[in-house]
Amino acid sequence: MKLDNMFKKTNSSVDKKGYITLGRSGPMVPEGLLRKCNKCGAAIIAEDVRRDNYICPKCGGYFRVHAYRRIEMLADDGSFQEWDSSLQGGNPLEYRGYEEKLEGLREKTGLTEAVVTGRMLINGSAAAVGVCDGRFLMASMGEAVGEKITRAVERATEEGLPLILFACSGGARMQEGIMSLMQMAKTAAAIKRHSDAGLLYISVLTDPTTGGVTASFAMLGDVILAEPKALIGFAGPRVIEQTIRQKLPKGFQRSEFLLEHGFIDGIIRRENMKETLSGVLKLHEKDNVVLPEEDGSSDRKQGYNGDGWDGYGLEDRDAWAHVEASRQADRPVGSDYIEGLFTEFTELHGDRHYGDDKAIIGGIARFHGIPVTVIAQAKGTDTKGNIERNFGMPSPEGYRKALRLMKQAEKFSRPVICFVDTPGAFCGLEAEERGQGEAIARNLYEMSGLKVPVLSVVIGEGGSGGALAMAVADEVWMLENSIYSVLSPEGFASILWKDSSKAKEAARVMKLTAGDLYDLGIVERVFAEPDSYTRETMGQTLDALDREISVFLHKYCSLSEKELTEHRYSRFRRM
Amino acid sequence: MIKKILIANRGEIAVRIIRACREMGIETVAVYSEADKEALHTKLADEAVCIGPAPSADSYLSMESIISATIVSGADAIHPGFGFLSENSKFAALCEQCSITFIGPSAKVIESLGNKQEARNTMTAAGVPVIPGSKEPVYTPQDGEETAASVGYPVIIKAALGGGGKGMRVAHTPEEFVTAFQTAQKEAQMAFGDQTMYIEHFVQHPRHIEFQILADQFGNVIHLGERDCSIQRNHQKMIEESPSAALSEELRKKMGEAAVRAAKAAHYTNAGTIEFLLEKSGNFYFMEMNTRIQVEHPVTEWVTGIDLIKAQIRIASGEKLSYEQKDVKLTGHSIECRINAENPEKGFLPSPGTVRDMHLPGGKGIRIDSAIYSGYTIPPYYDSMVAKLSVWAKNRKEAIRKMRSALGEVIIEGIDTNVDYQYAILNNPDYVAGNVDIEFIEGFEYKK
Repeated sequence: MKLDNMFKKTNSSVDKKGYITLGRSGPMVPEGLLRKCNKCGAAIIAEDVRRDNYICPKCGGYFRVHAYRRIEMLADDGSFQEWDSSLQGGNPLEYRGYEEKLEGLREKTGLTEAVVTGRMLINGSAAAVGVCDGRFLMASMGEAVGEKITRAVERATEEGLPLILFACSGGARMQEGIMSLMQMAKTAAAIKRHSDAGLLYISVLTDPTTGGVTASFAMLGDVILAEPKALIGFAGPRVIEQTIRQKLPKGFQRSEFLLEHGFIDGIIRRENMKETLSGVLKLHEKDNVVLPEEDGSSDRKQGYNGDGWDGYGLEDRDAWAHVEASRQADRPVGSDYIEGLFTEFTELHGDRHYGDDKAIIGGIARFHGIPVTVIAQAKGTDTKGNIERNFGMPSPEGYRKALRLMKQAEKFSRPVICFVDTPGAFCGLEAEERGQGEAIARNLYEMSGLKVPVLSVVIGEGGSGGALAMAVADEVWMLENSIYSVLSPEGFASILWKDSSKAKEAARVMKLTAGDLYDLGIVERVFAEPDSYTRETMGQTLDALDREISVFLHKYCSLSEKELTEHRYSRFRRM
Repeated sequence: MIKKILIANRGEIAVRIIRACREMGIETVAVYSEADKEALHTKLADEAVCIGPAPSADSYLSMESIISATIVSGADAIHPGFGFLSENSKFAALCEQCSITFIGPSAKVIESLGNKQEARNTMTAAGVPVIPGSKEPVYTPQDGEETAASVGYPVIIKAALGGGGKGMRVAHTPEEFVTAFQTAQKEAQMAFGDQTMYIEHFVQHPRHIEFQILADQFGNVIHLGERDCSIQRNHQKMIEESPSAALSEELRKKMGEAAVRAAKAAHYTNAGTIEFLLEKSGNFYFMEMNTRIQVEHPVTEWVTGIDLIKAQIRIASGEKLSYEQKDVKLTGHSIECRINAENPEKGFLPSPGTVRDMHLPGGKGIRIDSAIYSGYTIPPYYDSMVAKLSVWAKNRKEAIRKMRSALGEVIIEGIDTNVDYQYAILNNPDYVAGNVDIEFIEGFEYKK
């Protein structure tokens, strides 16, 4: 039954003249009660938006935040001290109407210029901070903005403070012409000096970060974070479309796109921003945590009896059994060791050149309280995860991310701990195009000279150069059923015997088991595994690793930079 | 006088409100979600505005959309019905800010009655009995015994952090108290690592008795008698009736006066309901106040002859109550059964779908409030109640006979309903004898 237009309408019986007025005008929405979301178009209650970090309650879209509001959202109560609040720029091009325009904006926004700088505490950690305010000529960078940022960076360098800059800008300020362009060089140079002083810079990119700001201070953070869905790019999307006369794909130049392309370390939701920043700051504070003294095991070959592999239930298993065990589907993977051995792991993404390789996980964490850089080759725990992680076969961008994180560790004097588990570096067209060989070579070269302790633990497959690119370390350890070789047994058999089915025999002659490699002096320690080594049964092995890593750190952290690199050099020199 | 009302609801209650408006010559605006384009309320109203996608959160709970629809359609008042935004003080406040008449109490009153502790304090101050209990935490059996004596046996001992029945014991007599307290406390320590206990009077086998209130803006408050809603499953009422078989004229007067005191103490306006738990002993305790029209309002309308929706609109328009307490007489007996699209044999699994064909009963003393029609598809997103069948007769016995006859006539094809289950209750000897409490359904065995 269709009911369209079937019912008679109500005839208003209320005498239009005779009804009692209720002493009010008709319904209306008072000014400022509702506003429209510029992302989804929905009407929203303005108060809800203010209370919920300026996020649309309907679509989750982010509104831009005024500079002082942003500081209020981050700083401990009353801790913000503003710097250079009255600094203003000139009119270098004598551009007509510019001064009036600035004056008008000052009146309207209550700001003197497009950036607010100062010092504040975030959960007790002090930092120099600069926040752009998009209401002021889209926070474009002219002389005043460049100068305020530069002064803030210089003062941070002088006072030994970490630096946090919130970018939100259309780029260089056109009205100031070439003077604006020079601000890019000036801010970058100041940040270089800040970095050379060994200080931390966290850059936070908010919507929009484009042009000369992206191409200067915004992209230079030790850690670069972004708010979700922020527009970040050098050339604006409209300009690109007009130039190449093509429609740009959806999501182009958004935070998620940049994460995928390796340019930012992470996307942080606004409600988590304060905690994230405070966590990263604390990981970089020199709080002199001392490792508990560990005796360690004097037995450097746990599970190895000197004459040969004594088993642990593996008595009749030959090399091939080890190969199979190392590839077991339920064998613990890199992320299990990160979770089991470290706390406060903060993953950092991207190589800053091309992509973020999911076959390598890296970041900062604490080991018994001391900050360390952890990098692990990562297999998945199921088929879906394995496809995502490319079965643990890193691409060049993975090695470049690892190297970036190692260099970062060196800057902040953090030891580096690597976990190796790869069938080999990814073998494919794209990997070659982006220089797989170069990426591996670069890691061997740079790792040999890293001025911080480096430890590598082979936890599964140690496949050739792909493994070595994360194993130029002060010590290399292996788990009982891990393997480490120049090539897979299948590859070995196929090259030497033209028959890949002879992999079992190849495994026997290759000397790729932990026991063999210990005897050859390729690795320093071997760790026993229980009969069936899985996520559920890895506890004891983790305990042993935990103990020995403490001993390792005690030993190598006390060496000078020269002793460290000398030790590493001679370790490989004798091979 | 209000000229145009937007009904911020759906289903039978929206239809009920639209009908009252039609009779009063007030224009109506329905709001509907994308899933309710073909709903009866959408078709019956003079105008209809779509306020968003099917999920309630994006449509019937979207305050901004509803306020915008009100302004755009030129309505001067909103009737919130029940459920959705009806007891949302923030929504009522928004209406106030936008000079829209919210047909219900003020935002402030909704908020203070929505806060359990605040409501309890208001009631205690007004001399309305609340369930007696320890105001301070109790740690030792000695202190507990004293409290237990003052709140009156039987008592229930509860862990402050309790839940799921853990750390909870009932002591019927002072002799049982110490052991019960120690056991409960030990359990609380084991389960929650905390020994903080509270003691409350244990209300045994209570009935759910609620009083309908009308209050105008001039401080006049009357009650329209009680409803007995003891037949409920998982706190969902199934059958309601008025008057209650358990109330004497004297008790009705006593409880009614308490309800009026409660409403006055809360500075209540418009229609509201005070819920009580009633013990066999005749002791009754305030539970909460519902600040909206109730699903079961038809039974009160039957026995008092007062149209509650019209009364709500008149009060909201600023009119004085046109009756005094002495004018309110409960005549005859009324019973209401809620008809839900659900399958009692499959654990009351909701059964949305298309109503292929239907026949509903009629005749003297029979009323149907429903929003379904032949060919209507019940969407899966909302409440499963599809109709309310209510009857009136001169006494309870005849009302039960009428309800049985009416239920026996209901035919709704295409979906499963609880009609047969309701029919079985109407034939249960305990129900017929009026021998029920809120645990009735727990002990009820349904045989088709």
